[in-house]
This record gives sequence, structure tokens and C-alpha cells, in this order.
Amino acid sequence: MDPRAPALDELVAAATRGASERAASWLREVVDDEVRLVDDNAVRLAFARAARLFGDETVVLGPGSAADWSATDAARAAVLLGAVQRIDDERAVALVETLYRAGELGEQVSVLRALAVLPDPQRFVGVAVEACRTNTEPVFRAIAHDHPVPARHFPALAFHQMVLKAIFLGVPVARIVGLRGRIDDELVRMVEGYASERRAAGRSVPDDVDLVLRLAKESS
Amino acid sequence: MKLFDPHIHMTSRTTDDYEAMARAGIAAVVEPAFWVGQPRTHVGTFEDYFLSLLGWERFRASQFGIRHYCTMGLNPKEANDAKLADGVLEILPTYLEKQGVVAVGEIGYDDQTPTEEHYLVRQLELARAHELPVLIHTPHRDKKRGTIRTLEVLRAHGFPMELALVDHNNEETLPHVLDAGAWAGHSIYPKTKMDEHRMVTLVQRYGSERILVNSAADWGVSDPLKVPKTAKAMREAGIDDTIIAAICWGNPVAFFAQSGRLDLAEIASAASVDQRQLWEGNSVLRGQAPVVED
Repeated sequence: MDPRAPALDELVAAATRGASERAASWLREVVDDEVRLVDDNAVRLAFARAARLFGDETVVLGPGSAADWSATDAARAAVLLGAVQRIDDERAVALVETLYRAGELGEQVSVLRALAVLPDPQRFVGVAVEACRTNTEPVFRAIAHDHPVPARHFPALAFHQMVLKAIFLGVPVARIVGLRGRIDDELVRMVEGYASERRAAGRSVPDDVDLVLRLAKESS
Repeated sequence: MKLFDPHIHMTSRTTDDYEAMARAGIAAVVEPAFWVGQPRTHVGTFEDYFLSLLGWERFRASQFGIRHYCTMGLNPKEANDAKLADGVLEILPTYLEKQGVVAVGEIGYDDQTPTEEHYLVRQLELARAHELPVLIHTPHRDKKRGTIRTLEVLRAHGFPMELALVDHNNEETLPHVLDAGAWAGHSIYPKTKMDEHRMVTLVQRYGSERILVNSAADWGVSDPLKVPKTAKAMREAGIDDTIIAAICWGNPVAFFAQSGRLDLAEIASAASVDQRQLWEGNSVLRGQAPVVED
């Protein structure tokens, strides 16, 4: 886990700061409920319900944390963290996979963001890599942007594909955490190949191609 | 001139599209099995999708005088879910034997993972076992290398190149596909992939042999009339009608006829429309007078 990642109390505090009393007491009750947190169906239900009680307002999770979490994301991360702390590895991975697979777009975004605050996030890298195959830009950004997991835990091929997809979709690569440290010859080749394909088609080459190539030069 | 769209996902399109396509001269389509915008999570969902391509969609097309064929396969994106992929490959052989299935596809690479390659190779084996050509998707990212890798896989497995249609080509991939002896598809898109005018330039340079164009229209921003629009652009650029007819009709017919499931006499004749027909009790009409042709 990121040493700067917020603990459960901080997530609850961030979520409830601007929330109604009803929402706040619901969340405190859920994260204290030892029975509910080990019941996967109850966790799934709470995860979905959070959006009805908490809004889209951006919350601040403390220095160094992702900027654009919503109150709902924070509440869901608190529920998920509470659950994952109480179940074994295998169940934790299955739970995260189910929440992602059976989630609507907002839930998928919340699951991906929450990976940043879960212990041993390398367990969940399968979901994170799968999320990069989405066609839905907000879901893609939830893992590609301001997230410590890809640079730290993705295999090279998955990391390269994520960067290339960001360029392809026009999603700024500057917000990929740890990009500089993961640039290698293969990624440079892929990015140059994309630029060449665009030129052959008589199309403009996105600025982020230059950004990646410049970072590569600086770090070589 | 009769036109063939050899790659279009009609399940995502409306009856307005069918009417416009028929008016523009499209007489036959191939609908490849692909992903549906988001990953499926059950083998049964695939099976129902396969059945809809063989059933309701073929019927819907027939109601507008368009002959509908399809390809069956596990697309590369969903191939990364190995548990699901094994289940799909288990049911696939039965579907490859069904009438109207003219190739295995879309198969190929997306992220170019080892898992994708595994299911690409297994489906090439299925194509050989079931005596079918293959329709190959090439990746959006790292496309040139993905295309070259695909051709290498075909070669390494001794797959006959004349039975492979490698799709979504661009300026950088087309020469590789033609040199390998495979057929080359081009998806004419409003923004990405290929456009009509770039296609004209490619035809002026490479001619018509083993070259196809398609709309690849689906649930995204795409245009089901791209085959007629490309034919028009070619004509306006002074390209000979025999070349246009080869690219927009003769080549797709010749390629898919290798399946043995495309009746050349039948496809040469116009499909007659009888909108009085029902599919499992359903009509495409909603109160309109049925069109009936002789």
C-alpha cells in the first residue's frame, strides 16, 4: 500500500465532511458492522447504495492523494477497505473482481480508485489491467490517472498498452503517475510507431507523443 | 452496381440503416461476431449472441432484400479472460458448422498478449478443422507490429494465406498483408482507421487484387454507407468500374465463397423481399404495409 494512502478513518472523514447526517451515520454504521463487512452481498449492496447517499463533489484526501475523488468514491473505498481487511486474500480478490465486473460505470470508477488505498494492491492487478481494455474513457482514466498502481505493479506490456491507449484516446499522459520511470525502448518504439502511422495517414501527431519522447531522452 | 459490405455489425444498427443500405445498392453483408462494447461475463451470453446473428439478424436483413452471412469466433479483447474464453471455444465448433457461417472471426490481437495469441492459434486450428477461412482483426495500438506478428503466426502454423482476410489496414500495413499473400480489408471510418480518399490513393497504387473495403459500422460513430461512398469516391477519381466492382463485390464474394457456404448462383440473383414473413412470430414492421416483391 502507498504509505501516503489514507486510512479508513480518513476516508470516512473525507466522505462525510459535506454529507447529510443520514449519509454520514449510514457510512459509520457500515464500516463498524463486523457482520455486514464479511458478507459479500451486503458489501456489494452498500457499494452500490453509496452513490444514492453521497454526491459527486470532489473531496480532498490529504497531500499526495488523487485529486478528483468524489465523496461517493471515498465512501465506497471506506466500505471496500473495511471488507478487505477482514477477509482472506482469495476472497478479497474475488470481491474486487465482482464489484468491478458487476459494477455500473460509476462503481467501476470507484473500484479502480479504491485500489490505491487497499493493502497489497498487487493482488488486484488483474482487474486494473482489464480496466485498461475498457471503451469508456472515465473508467480508463480512473486507473490511468493519478494512480500509483500501474507504474508500480503493471507488467511492461500492460503499462506500455496503457500509455499508448492514453495517447490514442487523447487522455493526457502527464497525469500517469511514475511514467518517467517506466519509459523503456519498447515503449519508445511503440510511440514512434504510432506517430509514423499518423503521418502516413496524413493526420496530426498528438502532443503527448513528444512528451513521452522528451521524457525518454531526459532519463536516458 | 451491386455492393457487398464484408464487415458490418448490423445488430447495432437500425431498420433505417437497412433501408438506406439497400437503396445505396448493398445486396449482401457479412456480420462478424465481435465484442459488444463491454466484456461479457458468461459463456451463455456469447451463445445467445451467436444465435441472434444466425437467426433474428439474418431475418431482419432479408426483410430489406439484403443477404446476411456471419462469422463466428472469440474476439481478441475478450480472449484475455481465459476462463470465459475456454468456455466459448468449447461451444464454438457447433456454431462453425451452421449454415450462413462463412468464416472464423473476428480473431487476432488487441493488446498483443500471450493469452490473445493462444486463442488466435486455437481458432486457426478450428478454422482448418472446419474448413473455413478466417477474418482477422488487427489491433488499434502498435498496429504495424501487431499486423506483422499476425502474418508470422499464420505462416508459423502453415495456415493458407488465401484463406486469411486481414482487416483494418492502413498505409503502413497493407504492403505487408499483400506481400504475404493474404486478403486485405479496409474499414472506412468517419475519423479513425481509413477514409474514402486515402482508400482511393491506395487503390491507385495497389490495384484491386485481394483488396476489400468495409464500413465496420457498429454501436460507435460509424457509417453503414461507407462502401457505397468509397465506390463513389473511386468513380469520381476516375478508377475503372471493373476495379470498383472487384473491390466492392467480386473480392468479398470470392473470399467468402471459399467457405463453401456462399451459393454463387443465389448471391448473383437479387433477394426478393416479403415483409409479410415473421420470425418466431415477430415482424420488423410496426403497422406499416408490408413490401412484397416477386
